[in-house]
Amino acid sequence: MTNIQIILNTILSKNIFEYLLIDRDLKVVNTSVGVLKYMENVPYEGDDVLMHMPEFLGFEEKLKEVFEKKDFTYTFKTIQKNGYYMNISLDHYNHDIALVLLQNITKMTQAQQQLLQYSNETTLLYHALQKIIDAQNSLLFVTNSDDRIEFANQTFLHYFHAENLDEIKAKALKLYPYVNKNIKSYNELHKHIRGSEINLNIGNDTFIMQSTAIEETHRLFTLSRVTDIYEKKKSLEAEVEVDALTSVYRKKYFDLRLEQLLKEENNFALIVVDIDDFKAVNDNYGHTVGDDVLKEFAFLLKKNIRQDDLIARWGGEEFLLVLKMDDLQRAMDRTETLRKMLDEHTFKHIGHLTASFGLAWRGQCDCDDANSLLQRADKALYKAKNNGKNRVILKKLEKRGENCIV
Amino acid sequence: MIRKKILLIGDFNVGKTSLIRRYVDNTFDDRYLTTIGVKISKKKILLNDEECELLIWDLEGATPQKSIPKTYYGGASGAILVGDVSRFETIKNLDEHMEVFKQINPNGSYVIAYNKSDLLKLDQIKSLQNIENVFLTSAKNDINVEKMFIALAKEIFND
Repeated sequence: MTNIQIILNTILSKNIFEYLLIDRDLKVVNTSVGVLKYMENVPYEGDDVLMHMPEFLGFEEKLKEVFEKKDFTYTFKTIQKNGYYMNISLDHYNHDIALVLLQNITKMTQAQQQLLQYSNETTLLYHALQKIIDAQNSLLFVTNSDDRIEFANQTFLHYFHAENLDEIKAKALKLYPYVNKNIKSYNELHKHIRGSEINLNIGNDTFIMQSTAIEETHRLFTLSRVTDIYEKKKSLEAEVEVDALTSVYRKKYFDLRLEQLLKEENNFALIVVDIDDFKAVNDNYGHTVGDDVLKEFAFLLKKNIRQDDLIARWGGEEFLLVLKMDDLQRAMDRTETLRKMLDEHTFKHIGHLTASFGLAWRGQCDCDDANSLLQRADKALYKAKNNGKNRVILKKLEKRGENCIV
Repeated sequence: MIRKKILLIGDFNVGKTSLIRRYVDNTFDDRYLTTIGVKISKKKILLNDEECELLIWDLEGATPQKSIPKTYYGGASGAILVGDVSRFETIKNLDEHMEVFKQINPNGSYVIAYNKSDLLKLDQIKSLQNIENVFLTSAKNDINVEKMFIALAKEIFND
């Protein structure tokens, strides 16, 4: 007993450890004075150890083992007792005595508890936010520094028929080509949107897409489905912005759409079309026939361009076209096809008719704008008229900015 | 006096500590204070005119980062597996907690607490009622708490 008490007193002087000594009958033999603070009742010699240490209940076999095995030690970690946290270890001393050592770890555990509390609250918040995000009607997804989708909400998964996020990840779903074929990554898409919003068409659906930077590496994309609103808007616009005679857009609306197209950085051709010798039609057949010709002319143009392209009446017998094309040569070829189609068409009252086309190409250029495009197309048309009419003339961009790719 | 050890097991913030407080002290506090390690509470009960004591181990909840240390499970006669009805994943994880408990205590009894049932609507409560071993509890509104502890105690002490 003397030796063990010397050792224990040395340990106890550090005010970290307290002890109980117990015998083979699991009765208390002795305790340190400081052990009282951890107990509900004062432990007396001869008390059943389970009275004071209920933690040992169910471990009676282990308690017996400690007297037999010299190297035996068993520890209960992080036990809260009387407002303190402690590790309780059970050690062999000899065949008759075992040592129950109580190590006060209150300060350390309280610090850990604060961290755990913070961590758990953060996890709860994360789950709550995830539920909120999943409940949104908008499609949300987050991309990472590897330009891959790292998170998507339930609405997004549902829209793309995915059971879970792993399916989306496995598909390596890319939405940027829907915006513009020249965009090659989500990072580029984020730059393209530039804190604003763009329209995005997927199948028959129209979305408003927004992008937000999360830290340096991640991007949050939001797609709000506006198909119905968009359709109604288009239908209303059509009613308000359409030329009553020819049923194509008015110049004012065309200008708005042109500004939008310029923001979207797509390649396209702007074309001014003018009916050749239209004055003679009015003079020879009267204005009523003239109006019919204008109607038929506009109808033919509209019928022979794509739904995605744009047509408007500038005034009189002049029309404006936007043909969305990847490269200039294809735009020239399509314009030539239009010219040829008109040339070969037999108009109702007058038979044969031709038109001249002035074309300006919109490449990626920081010095090009709506005015510059219209002026070039108009000059090209003037040249087409002067060179014999019934032809397509291109007017190239003369003044080039630093970033011109024409 | 016969004493038995029972455990409250489940994910964090499902209300294990609140169930014990309600049962032992008949109190409730809706502030969330995470449990670290284990705290043992005692409750004396009369079963068949005999005084028995439950040593109720309130275990630190499992988190996505950290599971419950298995050393706490040893020597338990029974367990209350606690899930939060407002967090489906905590209900889903009960199977896993039960497996660990039964692995260490093959003869141990258990009951399941779908806690925070005060958050459920009437039709939801109806659909969850009458599931074997499951108690729809609310520590907040003191619903089925004592009933559940007694049911487990009877099973343990009768064994």
